[in-house]
Amino acid sequence: MSAPADVQSADGLPRARGPVMIGAATLLLIAGPFIALTFATHWSDFHFASGDVGSIGVSLGYSLISLVLIVALGTPLAWWLARHSFHGKWVLEAIILLALLTPPLAMGILLTTLYGPYGPVGSLVAHTGVELTNSAPAFVLAQFYGALPYYVVAARAAFEGVPRELEHIALALGKSPWQTFWLVSMPLARLGLAAGIALAWVRALGEFGIVLILAYYPQGIPVKLWVNLQDIGLDAVYPLLWVFFLVAMPLPLMLGLASRRQRLF
Amino acid sequence: MRIDYRIDYPVRLRVNFEVAGFTILLGQSGEGKTTLFRALAGLLPAEGEPFGGLLPQHRAVGYLPQGYALFPHLRAWENVAFALPRGPQRRAQALELLLRLQLVDVAEQYPAALSGGQQQRVALARALARKPQLLLLDEPSSALDAGTRDEVMAELISEIHEFGLPALAVSHDPHLAALADRVAVMSSRHIVQQGSPAEVLARPGSAAVARLLGHRNLFTARVAGHETSTGVTLLRWEAANGTILRLPQQSELAAGQLVQWMIAPAAVRLPSLEPEPHHVDNPVAGRVEARLNLGAYFQVALRCGTERLWLAAQSNLVRKHGLETGCEVTVDLRSDGLLCWPQLG
Repeated sequence: MSAPADVQSADGLPRARGPVMIGAATLLLIAGPFIALTFATHWSDFHFASGDVGSIGVSLGYSLISLVLIVALGTPLAWWLARHSFHGKWVLEAIILLALLTPPLAMGILLTTLYGPYGPVGSLVAHTGVELTNSAPAFVLAQFYGALPYYVVAARAAFEGVPRELEHIALALGKSPWQTFWLVSMPLARLGLAAGIALAWVRALGEFGIVLILAYYPQGIPVKLWVNLQDIGLDAVYPLLWVFFLVAMPLPLMLGLASRRQRLF
Repeated sequence: MRIDYRIDYPVRLRVNFEVAGFTILLGQSGEGKTTLFRALAGLLPAEGEPFGGLLPQHRAVGYLPQGYALFPHLRAWENVAFALPRGPQRRAQALELLLRLQLVDVAEQYPAALSGGQQQRVALARALARKPQLLLLDEPSSALDAGTRDEVMAELISEIHEFGLPALAVSHDPHLAALADRVAVMSSRHIVQQGSPAEVLARPGSAAVARLLGHRNLFTARVAGHETSTGVTLLRWEAANGTILRLPQQSELAAGQLVQWMIAPAAVRLPSLEPEPHHVDNPVAGRVEARLNLGAYFQVALRCGTERLWLAAQSNLVRKHGLETGCEVTVDLRSDGLLCWPQLG
């Protein structure tokens, strides 16, 4: 990294240097653990433990399913929160806040209480032959609960950032509320929605606490990392971690770039 | 087209006036002009005609809000096409409208790359694409440069005339009134006067209307009495050393009553330069305090007691009189140019 001798931004105007220096130092702090990882990895003896490849499939496949569910169910809720005001709205906000601040382990326990074989919902669903613990649906459920509140918060902010006047003009130009939503609100909220989707993806893929309690099986990457650490040791953690980065990174990176109309190179 | 609307929220408003050609609704900020527009567009609950009870998407209104509200994610032609029905002709129809408004060169641009005047015309094209029965323009001159404002507005008005649509513009800019076909003046949330610009500008119905129309020479005086034999009402202008003003009789004013009066700067006459004496209605002495050179004519501010009286006169006349700052002059306020109303409150 070269020293910021000539600090200019995209618009060509000179900028203060202090924030850039502090920013660079902060970035170095963030990058520290990953730099350490490159040194700690035994590159000459890079191999996977048994079950690692399967965990990659589990993580990617089920995270995608959770993401689709989160966007499908979270977007209307975010829209409702952003565009309607009514008495007692704070209760809704408190519920979402509750979901955000519950520690993952505790959330796993709560979900097991509700969806577990002896829980009210779990026992009911069990009659249809679907198990909501230690199963694929349980895994998706755990990721859904872990990531949904983050998406709703981000998407709500995105919708709130759309000037209402533009939605009103769309109505005055003869569009129905539904057309207005798709033609004006959604495109104008795309930056924030893309950020919300990226955040939800990262949260879902990295979810450990809830998954550990509700769906120890099938094992996705985060749980498999822990199992590898317990059963084999650190050397079995690093290769899987590298793969995790490799598969987790493209979606949020591309969403971020696409929504800002930037190119990678 | 007659507009008759009643709004209760967010401001209580009751208006009833005629829109013909390009009509200006003049009123101060906070009168609820934008509220009226939003109600006409169906974006606020209100009762009235036209369009009463219809959803916004079913009202044939072309609404140009302040700042134009172009969709930033759509190109100019896409903004226009937004209001057009889907179909293969959509782009061609949008381009045709842009062509009529001399905007075809910027069809592929995003709104952020357009000048204020271009944005306004794209918004007009978009509103016209809706095939409205009524155009609504909210403060159409507010985002334009002072230098090109009159020109851009005159062009806009002639374009609207070409499309043959009634248009209602709200503004607090009295400049615009002179360009319109019709003027309605709003004060205290009511229409207080309406008519042709010439009528309304020459004969404001009240001091409040005169102020909204940008008249500068508005003063307070007290009724000194009536001369019934000559048909004259006398006013004592106390702020200007008790000068007595004579104007055509207004019997409804009681002696001793406070009134507001005005005179157009052009009705303030400089003394005659010829030797023979002329009839003078209301001589008023003052000292020249400021001169604004407006090219063909000057605006001159005279200090009369504690008040400032403006006169407008041709440049050559001002030079002949040698009206320099500080010099004393006695001007004549023409009786038939004096307007007066009882002071309210």
